[in-house]
Amino acid sequence: MAPGPSVDDRLERYAELAVQVGANIEAGQTVFIQMIVEHAPFARALTRAAYAAGARYVDVWYRDEHVRKAMIEYGPDSALEHAPDWLKTKYGSMSGNALIASTGDPEPELMADLDGERVGRARMKELSAIAQAQMMARQINWTGLAYPSEGWADKVFGEPDLERLWEAVAFCTRLDEPEPVAAWREHMARLESRAAKLNELAFDALRYRGPGTDFTVGLLAGARWLSAVFHTASGRPYVPNMPTEEIFTTPDCRRAEGTIASSRPLALLGDVVEGLKLTVAGGRIVGVQADHGAELVRSQLASDERAPYFGELALVDGTSRVGQTGLTFFDTLFDENATCHIAYGFGIAESFEGEPGEGMNVSSVHTDFMVGGPELEIDGLTADGHAVPILREDEWQLPE
Amino acid sequence: MGRRPVGHLIEKSILSAAMERLDRYADLIVRIGANVQPGQTLFVSALVEHAPLVRAVARSGYDAGARLVDVRYVDQHLRRSFIEHAAEEDLTETTTWLMARTEAIADGGALIMLAGDPEPELLADLDQARVGKARAVDALNRQLKAQNDLAVNWTIAAYPTEGQAAQMFGEPDLERLWDAVATSVRLDEPDPVAAWQQHVERLRGRREQLDALGLGAIHFSGPGTDLTVGLLPNGRWMGGGLTTTSGITHVPNLPTEEVFACPDWRLTEGTVRSTRPLQLGGTIVRDLELRFESGEAVEVRASTGADAVRGEMSVDEFGKRLGEVALADGTSRVGQNGLTFFDTLFDENATCHIAYGAGVMFGVDGVDGLGPEELRERGINLSAVHTDFMIGGPDVAVDGLTREGKRIEIMREDTWLLGRQ
Repeated sequence: MAPGPSVDDRLERYAELAVQVGANIEAGQTVFIQMIVEHAPFARALTRAAYAAGARYVDVWYRDEHVRKAMIEYGPDSALEHAPDWLKTKYGSMSGNALIASTGDPEPELMADLDGERVGRARMKELSAIAQAQMMARQINWTGLAYPSEGWADKVFGEPDLERLWEAVAFCTRLDEPEPVAAWREHMARLESRAAKLNELAFDALRYRGPGTDFTVGLLAGARWLSAVFHTASGRPYVPNMPTEEIFTTPDCRRAEGTIASSRPLALLGDVVEGLKLTVAGGRIVGVQADHGAELVRSQLASDERAPYFGELALVDGTSRVGQTGLTFFDTLFDENATCHIAYGFGIAESFEGEPGEGMNVSSVHTDFMVGGPELEIDGLTADGHAVPILREDEWQLPE
Repeated sequence: MGRRPVGHLIEKSILSAAMERLDRYADLIVRIGANVQPGQTLFVSALVEHAPLVRAVARSGYDAGARLVDVRYVDQHLRRSFIEHAAEEDLTETTTWLMARTEAIADGGALIMLAGDPEPELLADLDQARVGKARAVDALNRQLKAQNDLAVNWTIAAYPTEGQAAQMFGEPDLERLWDAVATSVRLDEPDPVAAWQQHVERLRGRREQLDALGLGAIHFSGPGTDLTVGLLPNGRWMGGGLTTTSGITHVPNLPTEEVFACPDWRLTEGTVRSTRPLQLGGTIVRDLELRFESGEAVEVRASTGADAVRGEMSVDEFGKRLGEVALADGTSRVGQNGLTFFDTLFDENATCHIAYGAGVMFGVDGVDGLGPEELRERGINLSAVHTDFMIGGPDVAVDGLTREGKRIEIMREDTWLLGRQ
């Protein structure tokens, strides 16, 4: 029996990858899916794949950015941060279950003409708090991946060439391999060995140098470098981001100094931040400049007291499939895998063994921005001051 | 500003005319339908395919002063997967979060439900017993109770889709369907809101006529139909809008052309033949025929889709009994279209109908605060389903039977006779 009209085989393969490798759902779980309403074809394919993998119940929560825009534009102030009780109940129910979310904004500039301050404030902080606690306790096997749309293709190519974008996404997520699941296992093993090498070297800090960038950030003895295979508290492995090309850690949020120039545009809150430059002192971002969208970053950094501190350092070299496409996707999920990046806000709980407050940052935001490129040099600094090259001209310098 | 090609301008003006129509429709739904009040949370339920209207409703809702517009999108394709795969005992399950949202609706919310199925036959090849059964029973009961308690100002309105247009016209002529919908809901009037106020007054006049007669039953007779529906002694006729306990007047269905009452679930006798196809959970039921004994549908037949009706009726013990009887005549704008919309919201306003399942108890006096058993003792049906199907038309005569046994002609050949000398 056909599951419905016009079933896209590529989409079905993609959904299977999300369900079997990404969220790696367990039979009997409830699978929560969060998508914008334009992604309905993907949600439907994921739902079919999830039931086929033994999900007990698949719950799709469709969001609508246009409804959110109406709220920001016409709604009262009190609506901006309000999280309805039923949604808190739903979030609470995710513990012990699986979650799949998508990126791939069909209208990346939808919010561009709105008051940036209100756009920045329009977040359900109470939901973020529930999600953070679940992340800290590693209660959910989850994954996020992108769904191509014409609007997104237009942003990337300057024309709505949906097929070209699909091909790029399929390449980045290894859907072009005869056995995508096996290809993913091999790929993850290589990233795992890089992380192990950095953990063995146990640097005290990283130093970034490049055009507009001269930045030193401390590493934590209690934090490990990871690849993106996470495990739930009950030991179930999952891959939270697809694609993934990075190894990453949570830095010492108390130790960071210098200046950072972002090397790629940053899609943020429905707008695009261009030419971002940050000044950092005593671990904290004290200055924000940009050619466009600085206000968005400032308003996000004002979300809470710990937002302007760093939560993630990630290393990516030129073998990245995302990097090899040579494209700017205007989507963090991809662009952060093209090259090295840094995030302000919430740290990487999975990489940290200790109490928050012992150097791992805790905040309601987490925003990655790109700093890498052929001109960026990254060194590991040992406790006694020696510099060990890690990246030069997009090439990995440590033995593999 | 530079010159633009004329074609572009024309395209743009057609587009903006469509946008304007959508905005006018959304305003009607928000202002007349739900009558959203400043400070209320507006809950919207819609299919994913209804997004353009949902977005216009959200803008209009905030414009009316809503404190929050909370949209729940439903997707029939997900429902299909659910029905195919869910364990039998999960089919009727209500999640904790759906229940929490339903409680929030019941707690003084405004509610807009959009109808209009883009793929009316999507579930037709599934096990119809499971299709009928797959409902979040507890949430539905809670919502029906809130509606019956007059705790919520709510409305249902339709969003035209190509799927529905194809079903109606044999081709996906969306513009033609839009025209039919716009006429039915009086969007073609220069001032739709004023036109609605006048229309609603006329329906209220009809229900006063019926109340003055003190009827004990309604009798329908026509081809395949000889049906007596017993009414409640303390029931009033309703129509042309409801008023919540907090005093908000709203119009539960756009369009609406009917006056309706709550039958006694024990007192329906005879046979009835449906005069229009019924759209039910993704299947089309044609030529439905029911036979009632002591209020219970003891025989269910149809040329297609009988199992869907049987499945739905067996959701609970009281699904087989009636909860509504409604009258509409040939002046109905929906009836005048001469179309079958395959959508109860429209078709039930084309002509007379009855519903099996939950009783429409907001017209029944003296039942506030009564528990389920007491309500049933008074003749009010309680069930998780409520499905209307059409039984009226030019060949169906409608009479009222007074408690003294007198027969009064109400409708002949689709014409309303009361009030004519």
